[in-house]
Amino acid sequence: MALEIRDIHKYFGPVRASDGVSFTIESGTLHGILGENGAGKSTLMKILSGFYEADSGEVVLDGEVLDLRSPADAIEAGIGMLHQDPLVFLPFSVLDNFVLGSPGGIHLDRSEAQSELARVSADLGFHFDPAVAAGDLTVGERQQLAITRLMWLGAKVLIFDEPTTGISATQRVQLFTTLKRLAQDGLIVLFVSHKLEEVEELCDSVTVIRQGKVVYEADMPVPSETLVAEMFGKIFVQEDHASIETGAPLLVCRDLVLDEGTTHIEALDFEIASGEVVGLAGLEGSGQRTLLRACAGLIDPTGGTLTVDGTDLTGASYRDHLHAGVHYLPAGRLEEGLVEGISIAEHLVLVSDDASFFIDWKKAEEVATKEIDEYSIKGRPDSNAETLSGGNQQRLLLAMIPDEVRLLLLEHPTRGLDVESAAYVWTRLLERRERGTSIMFASADLDELLRYSDRIVVFFGGDIFAVRDAAETDGEELGYLIGGKERV
Amino acid sequence: MRQGKRSVRLLMLLVVFALVAAACSSSSEETTTTAAGGDEGTTTTEAAMPGEGFKFGMILVGPENDRGWSQAHYEAGKYIEEMTGAEMISLDTVNPADRPETSVEQVVSDMIDQGAQLIFATSDDMKDGIEAAAAEHPDVPMIWSSGDSAWEEGEAYRADLPNLGNIMGKMTIGKAIAGCAAALTSETGNLAYVGPLINDETRRLVSSVYLGAKNCWEKAGNDPADLNLEVNWIGFWFNIPGVTLDPTEVTNAFFDGGADVVLSGIDTTEALVVAGQRAAAGEKVWAIPYDFEGACSEAPEVCLGVPYFNWGPAYLDVAASVMNGTYERQFQWIGPDWTDINNPDTSMIGWVNGDALSDDAAAALDEFIAGLGDGSIDLFVGPLNYQDGSTFLADGEKGTDVQIWYMKQLLEGIEGASSSG
Amino acid sequence: MTRLRLAVPTLVSLFAALVFGVLLLLVVGAPPFEALSLLVEGSFGSASKISATLLAWSPLLLASAGLVITFAAGLWNIGVEGQVIMGAIAASWVARVVPGPGWVVVPGTILAGAIGGAVWALLAGFLKTHGGVHEIFGGLGLDFVAAGIATYLVIGPWKRAGVASTSGTDIFRQEAWMPEFQAFGVGWPVVPVLLGLASVALVWVLLRGTLFGLRLKSVGNNSYSSFLLGIPTNRYLLGAFALGGALAGIAGTVQVTAFHHKLVPAISGGYGFLAILVVLLAGFSAALVAPIALFFVAISVGSTQLDLRLGLDSAFGGVLQGVIVLFVMFGGAFAARRASWSRSTQEEP
Repeated sequence: MALEIRDIHKYFGPVRASDGVSFTIESGTLHGILGENGAGKSTLMKILSGFYEADSGEVVLDGEVLDLRSPADAIEAGIGMLHQDPLVFLPFSVLDNFVLGSPGGIHLDRSEAQSELARVSADLGFHFDPAVAAGDLTVGERQQLAITRLMWLGAKVLIFDEPTTGISATQRVQLFTTLKRLAQDGLIVLFVSHKLEEVEELCDSVTVIRQGKVVYEADMPVPSETLVAEMFGKIFVQEDHASIETGAPLLVCRDLVLDEGTTHIEALDFEIASGEVVGLAGLEGSGQRTLLRACAGLIDPTGGTLTVDGTDLTGASYRDHLHAGVHYLPAGRLEEGLVEGISIAEHLVLVSDDASFFIDWKKAEEVATKEIDEYSIKGRPDSNAETLSGGNQQRLLLAMIPDEVRLLLLEHPTRGLDVESAAYVWTRLLERRERGTSIMFASADLDELLRYSDRIVVFFGGDIFAVRDAAETDGEELGYLIGGKERV
Repeated sequence: MRQGKRSVRLLMLLVVFALVAAACSSSSEETTTTAAGGDEGTTTTEAAMPGEGFKFGMILVGPENDRGWSQAHYEAGKYIEEMTGAEMISLDTVNPADRPETSVEQVVSDMIDQGAQLIFATSDDMKDGIEAAAAEHPDVPMIWSSGDSAWEEGEAYRADLPNLGNIMGKMTIGKAIAGCAAALTSETGNLAYVGPLINDETRRLVSSVYLGAKNCWEKAGNDPADLNLEVNWIGFWFNIPGVTLDPTEVTNAFFDGGADVVLSGIDTTEALVVAGQRAAAGEKVWAIPYDFEGACSEAPEVCLGVPYFNWGPAYLDVAASVMNGTYERQFQWIGPDWTDINNPDTSMIGWVNGDALSDDAAAALDEFIAGLGDGSIDLFVGPLNYQDGSTFLADGEKGTDVQIWYMKQLLEGIEGASSSG
Repeated sequence: MTRLRLAVPTLVSLFAALVFGVLLLLVVGAPPFEALSLLVEGSFGSASKISATLLAWSPLLLASAGLVITFAAGLWNIGVEGQVIMGAIAASWVARVVPGPGWVVVPGTILAGAIGGAVWALLAGFLKTHGGVHEIFGGLGLDFVAAGIATYLVIGPWKRAGVASTSGTDIFRQEAWMPEFQAFGVGWPVVPVLLGLASVALVWVLLRGTLFGLRLKSVGNNSYSSFLLGIPTNRYLLGAFALGGALAGIAGTVQVTAFHHKLVPAISGGYGFLAILVVLLAGFSAALVAPIALFFVAISVGSTQLDLRLGLDSAFGGVLQGVIVLFVMFGGAFAARRASWSRSTQEEP
């Protein structure tokens, strides 16, 4: 038996999430799928498990071409997927979750289901109390429940999407044991991750995906640096960037403790000097956004102090931060930055500080025309935000940053922008640092981090993993650090 | 935002469905009377009928087929059409909730524009509108049913409106008969009354029930102390969820509390329905509905009978007087035709026995009615006290129409509120 | 440009609704064209008819204008019905207790109506901003409470002497009536119409030309972005509630002091809910509210004639209004689906 993926294509508009992916996995293999955020791993797995339909291409299992139109089709064909957050109905009991979505009719033989649950879970070495509510299980136990269910339903291929997020070290060990056993029993196990260490520890073979394409396939072991290089592509050879003299500390964090969801940042001592640019690296969800949001006043620290320009802002409101000269630009330009249905001119009126009660539309249009010109926005003063392209939305957001801002907090400032727009955005941002504005930005783009930062803070697993001077590190080291490994 | 729009649509859909549903539910059966008009149909062969070409307006507060108050008036209008060949212009559901943009004055003006020579405004709710309309059209005779504006001795006399008369039926008699029927049937002596809201009219009706019940209870040789009448006011003429008390619950509470006959004073038949359900479950309970001759049909096996209005003869008299030019406004408070209280051509107030009334009780009831008719029984004779012990009628004093019409409280012996203040 | 593109399917839908209405009339066996001409005649056929139509138009305009404000802030102000009622109650209170000539009492009733409506709206507002209760549920609950209070007052503390009933409180003294202007033999509701038109103009100016309106629109379209832009979103939501409620409350004043001249239990006349339909049909635009509201009340007022002259159930007017809304809604949904379809082929999800 083998799982064969043949020339899968899946486009979302102009984005090629899967761009001709083909590979084959033999049964009894624990196979790693590696790639950075947005490389196209998830899309591919969702196609395999029936959540998406591919635009073209075939999935072949055991010589049979599968017709995957829904998750139910996939499960029937023997392909099951475990999501990052196992899809479990928390208020329901373990037994209810177990029988949920079983292919039988309306009739539910609970005692039979219970003995089935006991049998399958014993085979796998798990133990459940069928009556307990799923909400009382740990994430690891929920995974075990989901695995048990999929095995009972006859899965031949199991896909694990980032399964180690949010589970404890012991549960991880247990999970890995289970995965190895499943592979030994002749299943095909796909292990999707961006954590190098885990793939190295666990997998028999690996496929690296970048920009929707398979760029590397090999049997393990493979040297880490090869995997890093393949994951991130050609790493930018660093130029000397215009480092400028930085001033007195502007942002000062002392013993800062932050909690947001599963992210926990402990006792952070950290300073940003006036005029300094700090890049935040790490896989998405590793804690960068938490730090940015805390500095913007959107989450209250659970401990420690946060000072901007000598003013204690610990626990102060977002608006207080705004008045203290802290400006936050989140990643979702149209979700948490601009307002749909509101024009360029209106956006500029909204942020101007000398607007009168009755709006002088003539003046507003002049201002808008000026800013459109200055920031090279492709749009008219009356163009609504949602009609602008991503790059132009970002330019508009830049134009909306007040002049006297002291600390700029940016999330993925150039994501989705073409090269020219990205360079332009940075030109404008760097102009501000010369006036003493400090910048802290999160990015997934190593090139961008290395090129524009003075210092780079690497997050891993919800905490700060390493801090490097940009001048003293390189893309290769960052790749290791982001994967949670020190370079050897 | 996109999500928002979707929920906008969903809500819009709900609103529209609610609107359409409301519109449909209030639509009555198809009306052909007015569409047929006076120039076609059966009347053409009898061209000599006195009302040929005469038009009158009939303004109803509820639906013309409500099996209650409004339908009784609508049928009186049909009766005039039938008897005289006149043409009725009717408009139903004239009230601020159903026709928020329409006032009684406007409706009267529209009807007069269409040639109406006589207007009936058939609810006490229409007081302000019909008085304003009467002032505006002083040459058009109008009747405000159940009102007291033309009563010189009354408290709300409008000497300045010589065209506006009043007609009301002496339902005090119908209610007394109902009270008697209840007392003759009850095994416990515990009677209960589902009242609408508290005003002069409803106070005198509850008091009449009590007097009728007391008379027959004692005549049957029972201990006067064992007779109880409890009233609970739901707050409105019919159930409005969240605003009024639920008449179904009120009725159930009465039966739970030991009552075995519940009389209804409201426009709808919950009391009878509840009694039917409980009787089906083996309880010995009965009910008496109100207003509409056919009301017993909802649960005939527990219905002791129903007192009803028959507006036709009185309305016909007025229409005839307008036709022959002898109309004079007056206040009429009309009782039954004692020779036959159920004569549709002569009697204003009627009573039909229900299936649940025993033969013995029916015989005693007939005797009671005969007594009322020949004057040997007069219920409103002193000594009668109000609930607070103050005197309503002194010993031997016979109540005048004015005293009875404007009773200030319920009578002593009735349990329940006399005023809502 | 976009407005024009929206207007075309609306017109097509209106025409379709009309065709459907004619078919409906044929089904019930009524002469359709006579019925339609009766609708027009019944609402605009004479001076007194026009006056009646204008008098019904005014509160609908006021309530609709208030709703445009709250819709702009992204709020589903279902509580508008209760705000009309509370405005009417507050205005009735002033009309009953404040002595003095008309130029004192009438402005007093208008102010009281505005305050009554605003306070009631703010209750729903605080429930939303501070209690986390969605304004649909808070508003609906408050609608019921307001209707209950009106009924309680009419049959309780404010009942009229003698035959107290659903017919309402005693008629207010003449000084508390909104003055009418006599011309062509009828009284004209000049003050209510001016109030209605002024409210629409006010809302139009607020939303088109002021910082308040722009911020409101911004909060309504994306409250999180607006918050990040530094707009105190809760304050603006409450502002929208207060203003919308005040206008709805003045609609209540018009109902008691210009139409009924007393408080009746069903004082709102359902204009709050009707206003929701009007504003939806107007595409949330203040400028379109006036003609659409006029169209709606003309159908309501005119449909009385269908009953009087043709013996047709006048619920037909309500059915026609419902059909129009349904058709326009489906037309709009169809256009929107087509637009998003053509967009989604060019855009990433």
